Amino acid sequence: MRIAVLVKQVPAVDNVKIDENTGTMVREGVEAELNPLDLHAVEAAVKIKESMPEGYVEITAITMGPPQAKASAAYAVSMGCDRGVLVSDKKFGGSDTLATSRTLAKAIEKLGPFDIILAGERATDGETGQVGPASAEFLNIPALTYVSSIDELNDEYIEVTRSIEGGHEKLRAPLPAMVIPVKEMNIPRLCTLGGKLRAKKTEIPLLNADDLDLDENSTGLKGSATWVINVTYPQMTRQGRKITSSGRLEETLNTILNFLDEKNCLGESK
Amino acid sequence: MDAYGRLTPKIIDELASLLGSGGIITEDRDLLENYSWDQAGRIWGHMPDAVVRPENTEQVSSVMKIASRYRIPVTPRGAGSGLNGGAVPLAGGIVMSLERMNSILEIDPINRVAVAEPGVVTNDLCRAATEKGFLYAGYPMSTETSFIGGNFATNAGGGKVIRYGSTRRHILGAEVVLPSGEVINLGGRFRKDTWGYNLLQLLIGSEGTLAIVTKLIVNLEPKPGKTVNLLACYPDIETLVESVSKVINSGKKIISCEFMDRNLVKYTTEYLGCRLPEQERSEGYLIIQIEDDNEEQLEESYEVVGKICMSCGAFEVFVAESRTDSAAIWNVRQNGLEGMRARDPYACSSGDLMVPLSAVPEMLRRISSAGLEWGLEMGIIAHIGDGNIHPIPIKPENMTPEKWAIYSENFFEALIKEAIELGGVGSGEHGVGHVKQHIITQSKSPAELELLRGIKRSFDPLNILNPGKMFFPLGDQQHQCK
Repeated sequence: MRIAVLVKQVPAVDNVKIDENTGTMVREGVEAELNPLDLHAVEAAVKIKESMPEGYVEITAITMGPPQAKASAAYAVSMGCDRGVLVSDKKFGGSDTLATSRTLAKAIEKLGPFDIILAGERATDGETGQVGPASAEFLNIPALTYVSSIDELNDEYIEVTRSIEGGHEKLRAPLPAMVIPVKEMNIPRLCTLGGKLRAKKTEIPLLNADDLDLDENSTGLKGSATWVINVTYPQMTRQGRKITSSGRLEETLNTILNFLDEKNCLGESK
Repeated sequence: MDAYGRLTPKIIDELASLLGSGGIITEDRDLLENYSWDQAGRIWGHMPDAVVRPENTEQVSSVMKIASRYRIPVTPRGAGSGLNGGAVPLAGGIVMSLERMNSILEIDPINRVAVAEPGVVTNDLCRAATEKGFLYAGYPMSTETSFIGGNFATNAGGGKVIRYGSTRRHILGAEVVLPSGEVINLGGRFRKDTWGYNLLQLLIGSEGTLAIVTKLIVNLEPKPGKTVNLLACYPDIETLVESVSKVINSGKKIISCEFMDRNLVKYTTEYLGCRLPEQERSEGYLIIQIEDDNEEQLEESYEVVGKICMSCGAFEVFVAESRTDSAAIWNVRQNGLEGMRARDPYACSSGDLMVPLSAVPEMLRRISSAGLEWGLEMGIIAHIGDGNIHPIPIKPENMTPEKWAIYSENFFEALIKEAIELGGVGSGEHGVGHVKQHIITQSKSPAELELLRGIKRSFDPLNILNPGKMFFPLGDQQHQCK
């Protein structure tokens, strides 16, 4: 059984900053990490591998991005994936989710065939959640989204539970299929020292636009259906007034009540 | 017994006019009670007659002038996060809370120092330094709560002492108010001051018995390189301890080397609702934080250190590089006490044994057999790289809290004697306060005690500043427990 996991390198910050002039992400001085939600996809793949006879499952981690994104594929290898591949080319620069999905689908076809493709729910930088399902569309395979557990898996089909609004849904799909876990599915493991040493020795080969037979009209900026025209940040201002305790409870409470009254917040009930 | 003056309405009026209505608490028993105890537990507390909350050095000085005029005892207080009753007003009188003096006054990049008031939360100081591209290397494990002033008073240690030393190493200067009310400045924005008696160093760790710190100048380190955390899992404590000195002597930049035993991890992960890997098989864990200049060198460093752990008997070593993974590991370590207290609210935190690294295996053995002998279940955490061990026993079910307070301290006294026998001391970093006074005083020679008394007398002839603490029991009573 062959499994592919799509992983992405993202900035290791809580709030991604976008350059208001260029509309691109500010990467300078920001540490990078493997997208936290992709870790659940990697964990799911490694769990499948561990549940099968040794040598039966092979996992390939595929990442698309600039050369330094190679670290994300290596990280997935240190978690237990067998191989890692970097999909990278200057021509891919500026790809929106459509162009990214098309490019990744090409890479999956090139490296495949795969029985299962796993992807994270969304990336913490772009927050679109489109690349997994859109890649499945390009590959013309079923996409199982919001998967909270894999209940059955054999060479023919996969059965999963999906988290849906107000409940759960059980689905069966023939293989190959795209599986996109929610973070509740598992707790991603820490890398072991052994895993790290193995990843260090594992070569991460590169696939570029020529390898994937992609011309510049189908990937990168030109292959994108959307462009960022403008980015603005809302101005954050505080309009409150700071009330400092006088040390006497009643006095302080009165100050607060008077303030609320001034703002007409107490209504008739005062 | 010291004959202290009473806090009369006239003196209270005098203090109130000095401090304003928000600056003094005298009548509200509930509010006063908050200042009567620290993290040693309520059982070691004592009510103050008044709490003053000065906003600046002048007010601290004026309060001390009034206190010395009427001979009123004054107990300085930081965040109240101390573990040995150092901030408890044993003789009543005034608690001087420095909570309102909480400004970071300056981050001075040229001299690489920060200037802060004593009520600044240590974590806020760390954050401010980081934002300016520096490191404040003081890292008591209670960074979220403890004040930098309290760190000064107790010479706080914590999780990075093996690399950066205790608070003593980070303080370059201080403005302090003497018991007489006089303000003096010690040290400054410089790093070389080699001559004479070092009063600044004498005051660090004196638990507010000699002077009250009102401003601190702290050293900032250049921004550290990249760090990684290893979590090494061991099948038994012996092999774990064997790794420690080898890890420390590996020649790599080891920032922390922390130990957690099986029980502590069990209760803390239950409390936090998480798991550490290999919990079923691990008798103990080491968390090892390593720093290096760049990613390649860091990789090489953790490979060397990880292999040392494996060769000493660790059955698995995990590598936490990301913020999330690192936080997951450290969260368990930092919440160790809370985890034990979730198991039993009376879990006792005052165990703070300090032995030479070579004696750690024997000390751990003795702790374990003492636990059996005294019928106590416990969890153990340790800054094991320093030889600083914190056993946290829990109260036996059928014991009253009052009996437990005495029983647990007797247990620790027995362990302290063992630690001293092994070439250590009875307090690594929690200080003495009044909870550990009895045993610590016993461990000093008469000549040393006389010197210490002489120092106290020369700073505080009226014995008004934090009386009853450290080496100086209140009156002739040897062991205070109210």
